[in-house]
Formats: sequence, structure tokens, C-alpha cells
Amino acid sequence: MKLTKKSQIRDAHTLAGAYVMDAISAPDRERFERHLAGCEECAQEIASMREATAMLGTAAAEPLPAGLKERVMAAAAVTRQQPPADETEPVPLAHGARTRAGTWVRSLAWPGRLALAAGGAAAAAVLAVAVVFGVANGSMQQQLDQAQASSQQIAVVMTAQDAVMTTGPVAGGGTATIVMSHSRHALVFTAQGLHALPASRGYELWLIGPDGIRSVGMLPAGSRGMTGPVIASGLRQGDHLALTAEPADGSARPDTPMMLDIAL
Amino acid sequence: MTATGSQEPGNRARSAPATAAGTDLAGQITLVARGDAAAFDAIFEQIGPSVFGVVKRVIRDPAQSEEVTQEVLLEVWRTASKFDPGRGSATAWVMTLAHRRAVDRVRSVQKEAERERRIAAAEIPYDEVMEAVESSFERERVRRCLSSLTEVQRESVTLAYYRGYTYGQVASLLGVPTGTVKTRMRDALIRLRDCLGVAE
Repeated sequence: MKLTKKSQIRDAHTLAGAYVMDAISAPDRERFERHLAGCEECAQEIASMREATAMLGTAAAEPLPAGLKERVMAAAAVTRQQPPADETEPVPLAHGARTRAGTWVRSLAWPGRLALAAGGAAAAAVLAVAVVFGVANGSMQQQLDQAQASSQQIAVVMTAQDAVMTTGPVAGGGTATIVMSHSRHALVFTAQGLHALPASRGYELWLIGPDGIRSVGMLPAGSRGMTGPVIASGLRQGDHLALTAEPADGSARPDTPMMLDIAL
Repeated sequence: MTATGSQEPGNRARSAPATAAGTDLAGQITLVARGDAAAFDAIFEQIGPSVFGVVKRVIRDPAQSEEVTQEVLLEVWRTASKFDPGRGSATAWVMTLAHRRAVDRVRSVQKEAERERRIAAAEIPYDEVMEAVESSFERERVRRCLSSLTEVQRESVTLAYYRGYTYGQVASLLGVPTGTVKTRMRDALIRLRDCLGVAE
């Protein structure tokens, strides 16, 4: 028993180098991090190894590509930062989160800001809204996770060099805004002021191309007049983006008139 | 290297002494956590080229490397408040984030690119890295310390760190058992740490 445990610990220790260099699979990483949580010695060893690998990294420095800094600075200007940990406050519940998120939403002054902004700055504004809205609905933690995952995908589109923004009216009310990157074959869709639908129905987004019709998915319920963002990836040559109102659980094909049809 | 139009004289950021830059960087990140855009601007000067360099080593494709670099730097902006100087240097914090993101990117596209990577693996990354490095004090030190490792240690580190391979992949490339590679990686980093003089 004792020997087995010792050898397990030794085995976990030997993973330290691979862990620091991200040279382990995701399950290995998780297992090692569980071990790490209870091993102060390992944590110290890892911290010191990270200093060494950081120097391997800085030794590989290359001049930044032109324009990269400006794009990131523009995105940062409208991207909310994570607050520091506050140990005096209990973990906020969904209700509290919504209240706080509401403040952020208002402070963004959607949609005037987006309408007035141009080019990359506008794209960045949508990104900020994306991050904010990810947090504005549903349970805090779940939404934070989702917001983080999707904001990464969204950031890829938003910061693409060829990102272009298009806005257009939605039949039945509201305005749709898409930011599209041809190089990423993806777009980010948001809408503002969509007509509220009964609970039994929802908005469904489609890609319609020469090869047929693909459902992007149901739009999430709007919040304060703002819907989305939703990312649509895998765009193909000749695609159109379309919006219809469908039963709340979605349709296989659009059954109602197009409320929006944008050639991409 | 390629002559992709750089506005900045990259050497300025590159030749800054590591210790001074490191100390300064921690201060800048603290300011960035308070939303200081000027400090964020300064971070690009200090660590931007290193982030891009390591991301590009792992990913290799320039366009994807640029994207991941942007994501990493935006992540620094978003999560600056999570940086804890008590747990390591600011440089290590940013570079850990950069390397992790780069590796995540290559693993996510790995299946389609598997063939291509198997071919790429026939190259010798250590030599390539060493050829590419320009003379600077810091690079010279890294080169010297890498040279002080045994061959298996050095190959394990360069394949894992600069190529983003898992220890299992490194083992099969080098034709040695996985247990050996794990041990060599740890030994190598301990030796590098001592050689580079970055022990905590």
C-alpha cells in the first residue's frame, strides 16, 4: 500500500517537466493539477521551471507584425476586464450577476456606439457586447464559461485582418449586424430590437448556399433589446445568411418567410 | 527571418535586460488590471515580440500565429487582475499563457494536419532554433544552457516546447520509452533553471 502510493506520487512528480511545457494530454493535465493542488513542493518546482521555459520563449522573440498592436488595443478599449477576486463577497448568484451585468450593458450605450464606430473599432465593440451579454443571462458560472469559450471564437473573427461589418434591417423589426471574416470562414451575428416572439417560437439563423441549407441554430432570447452574439462558422462560397421565426425547438428547414437575407 | 514589415525595431524589445524588463512588466500588468491603456501599450513593447516568437515556433503558420498572439495579448488585458506576483514573474505568467494557447491551437487542428506534422518532424528543431537565434546576451545564454543538456534532454525540451509535442509524441519521435522522456524533461528543466539562474 505504502509503496504503491509512493510510486504514484513519484510518477506524478516526474510529470512536472512535461506539464510545464504543455507536453501532456488534457486528461494527464487534469490529473496532474489535482495532484498539484495538494503538493506545495511541486507548486514551487513548477514555478521555478516556468521561469526557465519563459526564457526559452523570450529567446525566440520576433518583431510583431504590423498593425497587430493597434488591433488588440482597439479590441481592449471596449473589452471588459475580469474583476480581481474579492474574498469579502460570497460568490454572486444569478440574480446578482444579472443586476451587475445590466449596468455594464447600459454603459456600452448600444447601439449608437456601434452605428457610429467604423471598421475594426466597430468589430471590437461587438466583441465587448459579446462578452457582456455572455454574462447577462442565466447562471453566472455557466455563462462565464460559455462567454469565455465563445468570446475566444468571436475574438478570432473580430480581430481577423479582413473582418468587415454589415448591418441591415430585419423584416418585422430590428437591425442585424454581422461581422464577417472570409479568411476565417466565420461570422458573428448580433441583432438589436428584434420583435419579441411568443415563448413557443424563436428566431433561427440559417446559412443557405449552393449545396443546400444549414441551420446555424436558434438565437438566444434577447436581453434589453439585444440578441446574440452567435457565431456561424464553416461559411462557404455563395452562402447567404437568413433569419426566420420557427417553433422554439427549431426546424430542419426554414418554414416561414425570410426576415433577413444577406449575401455573404 | 522573414521581412514581414515590422514597424518597430524588434531589437529594442529583444535586447532589454531580462531582469529589468521582468520587474517593469509586473508593474505594467498591475496597472493594466486597473484599465491603464498606456501600460497595456508598454506591454506590447516588452513582451509582445516574445509572445509572437513562441507562438510562431509552435504553430509555424504566420497567419494563425498572428491570430493566437492577438488572443493571448487580449487575454492579458482581460485577466491582468489574476496575475499574482507571489507565484512567479510576469514574464513567466504571460509566456505560460502564450505557450498554452499555441499548443491548444495546434492540438485542435492536429487531426487534419497530422500527416503534414509527421513530415515536419523529420526536421531537427534544435538546429533550426539555434540557426535562427540572433546574437543577444539572453539568446546566447539560452543557447549555452541548452547545449549543456544531454542530447535526449535537449531534444525532449525543444520538441516539446518549440514544437508543441506531447511527451508521448516526443517518445515516439526519439524512440525512447515515455517514462524516460518524462524524466528527461523534468531533469532538463531543472538543469536549465539552474543554468539560466532563474531559480526561485
